[in-house]
Amino acid sequence: MATLPIKNKIRELRFFAEEMTQQELAELVGVTRQTIMAIEKCKYSPTLEVAFKIAEVFGQSIDEVFQYQSA
Amino acid sequence: MNMSFREKSIWISLIATLLIFGDYFLNVISLGVLPADAAKTAALGLSLRALFLIVIVEIIFQGMLAVSNRKAAELGADERDKLFEYKGNNFGYTVLVIGVFITLGRIVFLEINPEFIEQTNGLTIPLLTAHILLFSFILSEVVRFSAQLYYYRRCD
Repeated sequence: MATLPIKNKIRELRFFAEEMTQQELAELVGVTRQTIMAIEKCKYSPTLEVAFKIAEVFGQSIDEVFQYQSA
Repeated sequence: MNMSFREKSIWISLIATLLIFGDYFLNVISLGVLPADAAKTAALGLSLRALFLIVIVEIIFQGMLAVSNRKAAELGADERDKLFEYKGNNFGYTVLVIGVFITLGRIVFLEINPEFIEQTNGLTIPLLTAHILLFSFILSEVVRFSAQLYYYRRCD
């Protein structure tokens, strides 16, 4: 499947958050680990609610975590 | 293969449905050689057996899955699971509607042309109208599960 136009820095942010695991982030956000993995790989675009929750976990604004890249 | 709790649960439902109702429909087709009344009784018995089996198999295997993935089972469906469920339901609903319209068309056609019933005695499936509806329902379930699994695999 082609990746979606919404890119993100979740992998990088997890690294700087003491190598937080996908499972830990999933539990903090309230989704499954597979959903975090799909978001990280840009194969699934989260809802605004989950996007805000992810940004909140890392103490960033939503546009610092997610970027829209038009073709 | 990296599968979520929901995806494993759908695999169980798909395999159980295919095996139990696949066996059911094969048995029903073979009932055509029996006299009409005996075939109807046998078909009812087979349908009760299939319903009983699907309930038992689902309870046992879904229960085992939930026990071995307690955290995921308590979390329930997340937004991605719900999206794929919604997409799968759309496909399943389409198949079910087509089946219902085929059944309705058959009923109306036989009402207008009753002589056709006698001409089609070669197709001797007991309770044929009910079985067309049941087959549509089972097929819609298979399509629904398969579509969901397709989205999970595509997104993995």
